Amino acid sequence: MEKVLFAVLTLVYLELSMRVVSAPICSYGQAGCHVPSLADLFERVIQQSSRMHSVSSDLHSDFEQYFFPRKNLIGKRKCHTYDILTPEDKENAQRLGREQLTEVIVRLLQAWGEPLSELYQSMSQDQNQDFNLYSSNKALEISDILHELKDGVTIITEKMKLLGVLSNTVGYNSPESLVPSSAFYTQGDLDSMDHHDLLYCFRRDSNKAKNYLRILKCTTLPEPDC
Amino acid sequence: MRGFLRWRTAELPVMHVSTPAVIPVNQLLKSPMGCGAMMKSVMEVLLLLMLFFTAHAKEKSYSPPEKPTQTRCRSPEKETFTCWWEPGSDGGLPTTYALYYRKENSETVYECPDYHTAGENSCFFNKNDTSIWVNYNISVVATNALGRAFSDPVDIDVVYIVEPNPPEKLTVAVMEDKGWPFLLVSWEPPHKADTRSGWITLIYELRVRLEEEEDDWEMHHAGQQKMFNIFSLRSGGEYLVEVRCKPDHGFWSEWSSTSYVKVPDYFHREKSMWILVAVFSALIFLILTWLLHMNSHSLKHCILPPVPGPKIKGFDNKLLKNGNSDEIFSALVVPNFPPASASKYEEMLVEYLEVYVPEEPELMLEESKDLLDGCLKSENSRSDSDSGRGSCDSHTLLMDKCGETKEEERQTNRESSLMETQGWKEEAINHDTSGKVKTWPSVYSPLPQYGSNPLDKQSSLETAKQHSLSTSSFLTQPGTKDALGPSYTDFCLSNKENHLHPQTLAHRALQTQSDVNISNIGCKRSPATEYVEVQRVNKEDMVLLQPVVSRCGHIEGCPNLPKGEDYSKVKGVDCDNRLLLQREGTGEDVCPCVDQETNGEGGNCYTSSTVSTTQKPTACMYTAMPLQEETALALNGYVDTATMGNLPSC
Repeated sequence: MEKVLFAVLTLVYLELSMRVVSAPICSYGQAGCHVPSLADLFERVIQQSSRMHSVSSDLHSDFEQYFFPRKNLIGKRKCHTYDILTPEDKENAQRLGREQLTEVIVRLLQAWGEPLSELYQSMSQDQNQDFNLYSSNKALEISDILHELKDGVTIITEKMKLLGVLSNTVGYNSPESLVPSSAFYTQGDLDSMDHHDLLYCFRRDSNKAKNYLRILKCTTLPEPDC
Repeated sequence: MRGFLRWRTAELPVMHVSTPAVIPVNQLLKSPMGCGAMMKSVMEVLLLLMLFFTAHAKEKSYSPPEKPTQTRCRSPEKETFTCWWEPGSDGGLPTTYALYYRKENSETVYECPDYHTAGENSCFFNKNDTSIWVNYNISVVATNALGRAFSDPVDIDVVYIVEPNPPEKLTVAVMEDKGWPFLLVSWEPPHKADTRSGWITLIYELRVRLEEEEDDWEMHHAGQQKMFNIFSLRSGGEYLVEVRCKPDHGFWSEWSSTSYVKVPDYFHREKSMWILVAVFSALIFLILTWLLHMNSHSLKHCILPPVPGPKIKGFDNKLLKNGNSDEIFSALVVPNFPPASASKYEEMLVEYLEVYVPEEPELMLEESKDLLDGCLKSENSRSDSDSGRGSCDSHTLLMDKCGETKEEERQTNRESSLMETQGWKEEAINHDTSGKVKTWPSVYSPLPQYGSNPLDKQSSLETAKQHSLSTSSFLTQPGTKDALGPSYTDFCLSNKENHLHPQTLAHRALQTQSDVNISNIGCKRSPATEYVEVQRVNKEDMVLLQPVVSRCGHIEGCPNLPKGEDYSKVKGVDCDNRLLLQREGTGEDVCPCVDQETNGEGGNCYTSSTVSTTQKPTACMYTAMPLQEETALALNGYVDTATMGNLPSC
């Protein structure tokens, strides 16, 4: 008993003495905060977008393998973000400029917040399918990352505006206008086909976001090695 | 060829086979003459026939083309892409291929803009025609004169088919870090891939191998960096380095061109390593030596096991060293011997008749039992091959089995057995070559057989009994006469009985005695060893004996000398079948040993029961006997059968 007490005391002492002192990160530079640089922010955001795309890609491929073993079964579908005009090649993207590019990114991310949570809810409710049983956690992860990404992009834009890199013309549109077809999915429960379409569309859109973010970073922070 | 077939989806132009053939004929045969028209038709028919003939001759059948298959589509930089297909069988006719595509959410069908840039059976989409994040639905059509075939449609998104070109400008340099060399590898991304703007992100991987080790590549993942350090090089080795890249979601490129590099020798480093190795091995060697030294004894036992020396089972060498003979022999004693059930031996035991006074029959039995036990004991002890025993051979006299004795054993025990003897029957003498007297107690078998075997048994029995009574034992060899030496006493009763075994005589005599004994009731019973006294010789040449009142105890020196003057010793048998007896002195006076040279041989004075009769006069007193007396003396007073030869020849 005494030995246990001694061990506990030792551990507590060690933890207290060897605590790593780190300052909280904040974006406004308040006292005591460690303000991350723009490069750090971009790095973090790009990592998150990459992770998001990776998980969604895995989920999509799992879905296709489980439900549609035969390949290349892509029906006629229309993603609900189709009316968000996005540059479809490099020249167009570079021609767009930082502000518009940022706006596109934000719009894309915001458009997916609700559908993803709906997808997760639908998958977790529909426990009949084994696929939902094993993969609903991925949908949840995607949803969480998306949420963080949205916040991150917001912070970056603020930072860029602060630095004068970004003009103040970039504004935050209301969620309703940004998500034109949020009513798309409110017509009852989602079935497997809807799941598949959602996953397919999101995979693409996350790729777009990731790519746009990279372009934004490389144009904002010119480095020989971008 | 391109403009050859341009159709809308609804149109299906059909061509005749004969049409190409007919046209040149028509051109050829442009004759204004009328018979030219006839010639023309004839030619046409001929040509048709030829065509079909050749077709049949070659076994060819024309058919519409087979469905082409789309193999793959690739984009090297996410700005353009190329699709390839594999044509099927063309059906024997010239076949054309066309690629058509539709973009996502659009019904417009476009044809491939460039069939040549990317080679044969390919379609190249340039930047203007390429849209990223847009679904392309692509099909290939094969057309020939007989029909056409559509390939399976393929949906692609350019962003997922990116396969970059290999990295370029791979350089490898040997650098040194604190004396240790390493390779500094650097490269550049493929020039087409625009990584600078962030449009495409590549990750790299490189591999290294020694020139002599083929297919033994060492892989290194380099991430997004464009240079890499490789350590742990072999001195003087030649290395090959290659690098490749991949977009974060795409396909790996091909390996770049190989870059060769030679690492210079760095001997001084290796030398120090060898010194270290030598020191370690010396240390280990020292430790091993020390361990060996510590465990040398046990190792010696392991490698060179000690040779087992001769060892007697159950015999302790230390007892010998102590010199206590009692302990030695007690160690040799086998416990649980004799076995409880001696019935086997009892069966084999010849029935014997006890000649002593029947007043003490129990003692007789005991004696016989002792004899039996002694025999059995020795019998059993003999079976122990590992033992050093051999002294007890009296059991051999008991029966055939017991009858086997060993000369050597007798000789070894001769010395010890000579010391202690007890009362013996004077007649019952049997000498062995060593001069030992074998005596029998006065217990004989009543069998009137004169064969050697029964008597052997008798002698064995008696001797065995003797053994049981004394610590010494004698071995008898009831063998041939040859075994018996000059000390053999032969009772020469008669001519024909010249070679009679002394036992025989004794047997007869004792048999007589037994008769006498039985009739002699009331005679005093003597103790274990008893003597008989010659009463007289009857007409039938039988010596009548009578038991003697025992007076003789253990007399050292003359253990067998009876006290008193009643005793008579058989000196010999003369030719007339007369038993020659002699009288000896009394017990305490040790009769001087007389040299036994009656036989012409110099015998020694035996302290054992060996007997040799002498004919020298002694100082002993003689009793007046009707028989011839002679001063044959021996300590034990027994007749030396060997001296018989000196007697008047029979």
